[in-house]
Amino acid sequence: MTTTTTSSRPARAPQVRRRRRPARSPWLHVAMVPLSLLWISPIVFVGFVSIRSFDDIAARGIGALPTSISFEGFITAFEGGGLWRALGNSIAVTAGGVFLSLALSAVAAYALSRFEIPLRKTILLTMLAGNLLPPQILLVPVSAITDSLGIYDTLFALTIVQVGFGIGFYTFVLYGFMRNLPDEVFEAARIDGAGAGKIFWAIVLPLSRPSMAALGALSTTWIFNDLIWAMTVLRTEDKFPITAQLLNMMGGFGSSWNVIAAGALVAAIPTAVVFFIFQKQFVSGLLVGTDK
Amino acid sequence: MNHSQTTVSRRNLLLGTGALGLSGILAGCVGGGSGGGSQNGGGGGGITFQNSIQDTSPRAALEHLVSEYDDGDVTMNSVATEQFRAQLTNYLRSNNPPDVLTWYAGSVARNYAREGLLLDVSSLWEGDGACANFSDALRSLSSDDDGNQIFVPTQYYWWSVFYKKSAFEEWGVEPPSTWDEFHALCEDLSGQGVIPLANGIGPTPWMASGWFDYLNLRINGPEYHRELLAGEHSFTDQEVVDVMEEYGRLIPYFDPNMTSYDNQEAVTPMANNEAAMYLVGAFVTEYFPEDQRDDLDFFSVPVINDSVPTAEEAPTDGYFAAARGNNHEETLAFLDYMASAESQETFIEMSDSGYLPTSPDVDTSDFSPLVQKGIQLLEETEEITQFFNRDGSDALQATADDALTRFLAEPESLTQILEDWQRAAEGTFD
Repeated sequence: MTTTTTSSRPARAPQVRRRRRPARSPWLHVAMVPLSLLWISPIVFVGFVSIRSFDDIAARGIGALPTSISFEGFITAFEGGGLWRALGNSIAVTAGGVFLSLALSAVAAYALSRFEIPLRKTILLTMLAGNLLPPQILLVPVSAITDSLGIYDTLFALTIVQVGFGIGFYTFVLYGFMRNLPDEVFEAARIDGAGAGKIFWAIVLPLSRPSMAALGALSTTWIFNDLIWAMTVLRTEDKFPITAQLLNMMGGFGSSWNVIAAGALVAAIPTAVVFFIFQKQFVSGLLVGTDK
Repeated sequence: MNHSQTTVSRRNLLLGTGALGLSGILAGCVGGGSGGGSQNGGGGGGITFQNSIQDTSPRAALEHLVSEYDDGDVTMNSVATEQFRAQLTNYLRSNNPPDVLTWYAGSVARNYAREGLLLDVSSLWEGDGACANFSDALRSLSSDDDGNQIFVPTQYYWWSVFYKKSAFEEWGVEPPSTWDEFHALCEDLSGQGVIPLANGIGPTPWMASGWFDYLNLRINGPEYHRELLAGEHSFTDQEVVDVMEEYGRLIPYFDPNMTSYDNQEAVTPMANNEAAMYLVGAFVTEYFPEDQRDDLDFFSVPVINDSVPTAEEAPTDGYFAAARGNNHEETLAFLDYMASAESQETFIEMSDSGYLPTSPDVDTSDFSPLVQKGIQLLEETEEITQFFNRDGSDALQATADDALTRFLAEPESLTQILEDWQRAAEGTFD
């Protein structure tokens, strides 16, 4: 008896569940499918351009659909365009920039949020105020300063500039996060004999992991996608990150759009990878500061 | 609930570890790459050659020339034109500037020379220097206010009305020789459902200055044109109004899509025989599919007012050197090599574009018929101008872009547009 009931159950269960659950409205999908297609269309368009030959684009216009597949664009981008080298430069600057800026911001935020430093509000606001300036007005000073320091046209200079410009915002966000960590944890640690450094390393850093991850994900895309600072502090083609290298593919008079499209697709891969790995952190990163 | 959360975090952990590992590997690759790069740049002696040439064939031609140069170590950097334009002042003012730079002859170079940023290259212009035999027009174009040469012109190109021979045959039309014939031709083509004049003034609004320059040259002459761009006349003059009225007569013949095209996309209707003619520089050949390039021909904008001297636009490109560079001897030797007849010949043959040599010693017999015709055009013309931005300035070009695109969209507000143009232009002459 019991066996029959248990065996019949799984067969019946889905039916029951389907009946009980209120039918999902299809309208979300009806609205969202075309919207997502629309959103994806520019990427598809770039994909189409990248697999056409130059002659085809010149003859039939850039908007036409591909009739044949040619990898001319990708081959030229990698051979003549120096994409590998540029990708390497981008990743080096991004990795260094993200690590350094987060490390410095974490230390700064810890000090500002947990110690009675005189004028700490002013320090924090000054750091943040720097971020409110449009970077354009700083282009010439930054170029002149790096030149006079003798680091102009080095990847080191680009990394330092990225760190300098990121640090204000990251410190501000981490400050808000660390200030809200429960005091009891700190008291307990102090009772156990932990010093300031130990508390930072063993308690503050692990607890700040969500906000650090969110900032890390955001800053990775910001630094990787930056063009303006790369153009400001670099001069040698060998040192260009991928964004500047893409710009380099634009000719003075004409451009091989297939090569540029191919390069752009390749340039998008690293940020896309980072995005898909850290999707959750991206979303929480965008919500940073809203949960107060 | 609890269970599902642990699996998610485990997956994230794995992904995270993977990402870390990947970035580690990539960073490892970079270390090797950038090390090689800095070795190149820091090599003692040698000079840096900063250039703005990115178009595929001309760039390959330059790379070839640099690799063939034996008398010194030259590091070549190619940078996008717009970036180059923006950074040029920084380059020249830097403590450790690139030694040789590509740029334009004329007022741009002269302005830098006035600030003492350019190396005096007069030694190349005398004795058996590479530029000694260049024409007097080029010499004066390459001289600063004191008469010293600060520029090494190596090639120029011409502007004309380009068309496809096969298409003209198909439509049963001939290139015009008078201005009235030109209008009749446009009318005829319109009647056949063909767009008479291609243009692309969307992302490249300066293309609208091509017709302005030519109409001004044909109606008021080159002297007035140069003076106008130097701020000696007003854009509200009757002379300019005449030019604009003539320009207005052409508006119905332009491609209605020209405001969304750039100068390169404007070629697509021509490639498909939907548009007929294009007033553009000889670089246009590169825009066409390869199998159509030999089909191209051109005619000069016909004479409108026969009391003014004939003139053609022939922007001149070449090199100048930074005065702050620390290797003047090698710099001059390299410039001498680049300006030599052999180098010019190699460059023009390899660059597959409508460039003309500045050296009279270049053997032009192997050049394409189109280039030969270009050489002839410039030999026969009485005067040569550069282009709006080179005869004026980049700042003045911006005022022209604004005024001309507005005029093409609403020709009826001409008076207002010219007044605004004059006001904006005055701001650039201070």
